[in-house]
Amino acid sequence: MTSTIDTAPVDPGAPRTPERPRPPVAKWWRLAAGLGVLFAFLWGVSGLDITAEQLGRAPGNIWTIIELSVPPDFRAVLERGALGKVFESVYIAWTGTVIAAVLSLPLAFLASNNVVPAWVRIPIRQFFIIVRAFPELILATIFLAVVGLGPWAGALAIGFSSVGTLGKWSSESIEEVAGGPVEAIQASGGGWLSGVRWGLLPQVFPTIVAHWLFRFEINVRASAIFGLIGAGGIGGEISSQVQFRNWQNVSAVLIMVVVMVLVIDAVSGAVRRRILAGSDRGSVDASQEALGDLGGFLTRRRERAAGDGPSTS
Amino acid sequence: MAETTTLSPTRPRKPRLRIRTVVIAIGIVAFTIYAARQSGWDWGSFVTVWTNPLWGRFWPIDWEWVSDRNNVLDPLIETFQIAVVATVIGCLLALPIGFLMSNLTTPNRPTFVVVRSVMNVIRAIPDLLLAVILVAAVSIGAFGGAIALTVFSTAVLVKLFSETIDGADPRPLEAALAAGGRHTAAVRAGVLPEVFPAYVAYSAYVFELNVRASVVIGLVGGGGIGRVIEAQRQFFRYDRIFGVLIVIFIIVMIIEQISDAIRRRVL
Repeated sequence: MTSTIDTAPVDPGAPRTPERPRPPVAKWWRLAAGLGVLFAFLWGVSGLDITAEQLGRAPGNIWTIIELSVPPDFRAVLERGALGKVFESVYIAWTGTVIAAVLSLPLAFLASNNVVPAWVRIPIRQFFIIVRAFPELILATIFLAVVGLGPWAGALAIGFSSVGTLGKWSSESIEEVAGGPVEAIQASGGGWLSGVRWGLLPQVFPTIVAHWLFRFEINVRASAIFGLIGAGGIGGEISSQVQFRNWQNVSAVLIMVVVMVLVIDAVSGAVRRRILAGSDRGSVDASQEALGDLGGFLTRRRERAAGDGPSTS
Repeated sequence: MAETTTLSPTRPRKPRLRIRTVVIAIGIVAFTIYAARQSGWDWGSFVTVWTNPLWGRFWPIDWEWVSDRNNVLDPLIETFQIAVVATVIGCLLALPIGFLMSNLTTPNRPTFVVVRSVMNVIRAIPDLLLAVILVAAVSIGAFGGAIALTVFSTAVLVKLFSETIDGADPRPLEAALAAGGRHTAAVRAGVLPEVFPAYVAYSAYVFELNVRASVVIGLVGGGGIGRVIEAQRQFFRYDRIFGVLIVIFIIVMIIEQISDAIRRRVL
């Protein structure tokens, strides 16, 4: 389209439109990455022994089961005591998290570079890494063999396996802390322990408690699974109902699990934000935030910088 | 100046203990004690756990059995294949859904609310529960496990990715819309380039999650190395399980390193 309006004289050599910016990643490199993913995918599919018949039937099978599981039969599962099992899952997760919190707090300080020398720190770091590498369900199978069937094996497995993540997160927070207070304490003659207790702990404790709560949220999901292998909680109910092919009961239990996870996430998330924000906001705010977060979309308003112009949504 | 400065600063006041704090503390302690009793707290087991003769069965590791290809390597490859397939399909699905789920790029409000709610609910289902149900619904073995992990990785990636889109710069999108672009094209040109590195990084993270999950998915009938662990557990062959665990440990570490390297490279 040619413009009929005469504009200011332009340097005839200058291009009319700005140059198209070069893509940040070269074309051949993108092609190679795409092909790599494709080949990995094909290799993966080849190993799953999927027959065309199986693939064709799968959507139908899944749909049949969805049809069979409405309406969820809450009465039957409540009579079997599913509600108590749901609470048992929460208790297992809480107990495990408390065990892990107690164990990981001193270890986290002993793994931070502003507290201890390298020869103490590095072995403890390694210990965290090793613990984190083992899936908690496998730890639970081992604890099951040692302490017997029941919720205690689940609580121990959660307690042990959470030490790895909690120790790592906590020691990362400790390392980020300002060194001033510790220096002040040492300058006025305080020892190593007073430095940790009065210089570091007050600064990081809210963050560490927030880590504990976050891990509790993860552990609730984990403890809901443990019942599948006999380590207590609601998971056992799911596996037995699936074995009976009682799909209406399965869906009822599943809905209870989802509600449990969402409620715990909302409450624990609100407490976490309140702890991190400090006491300048009332608890009413926190509970409102919790309700909003159930949907996830009520509270999520992007803060746009002033002068950005109207939003596009 | 010197006249106004006191030599020793006044000692800071200790924060007053409030009744609310005491009530909350008592509540937490009471709940902890109750929860511990309900989950069968046993002080003795902290000692007996370590002195249990069962630990003797973990040693010596049955390396001859572990090094047999059929026992460990093949199931491990299957585990890996489940993780790869679930990651690729899950991440492909998450790309469009993520855009539907962000305030910035969603086409309309109802889509946003529906997609977001569905994804929140799916993410609240623990991955292995989904696996148990899908394995029963579709088939025992790798296929059911792969479907379960696909669903779960989509839900996780969509959350991380849509939050990145929420934080993206809205101006390129506005420019593209102002220049007359359709919604899809405007999102493609205005938002995707900014968030794609984060998408790749999160995909690497999801792959890591999937490798960990696919290791245990066999315990519930989903195929892979977990099935081997479950079988050996029934025979109390902990010497073999320990060997398998060491192999898993090495592989998980390697994958974590690779995934970390990808994240550092693209972000």
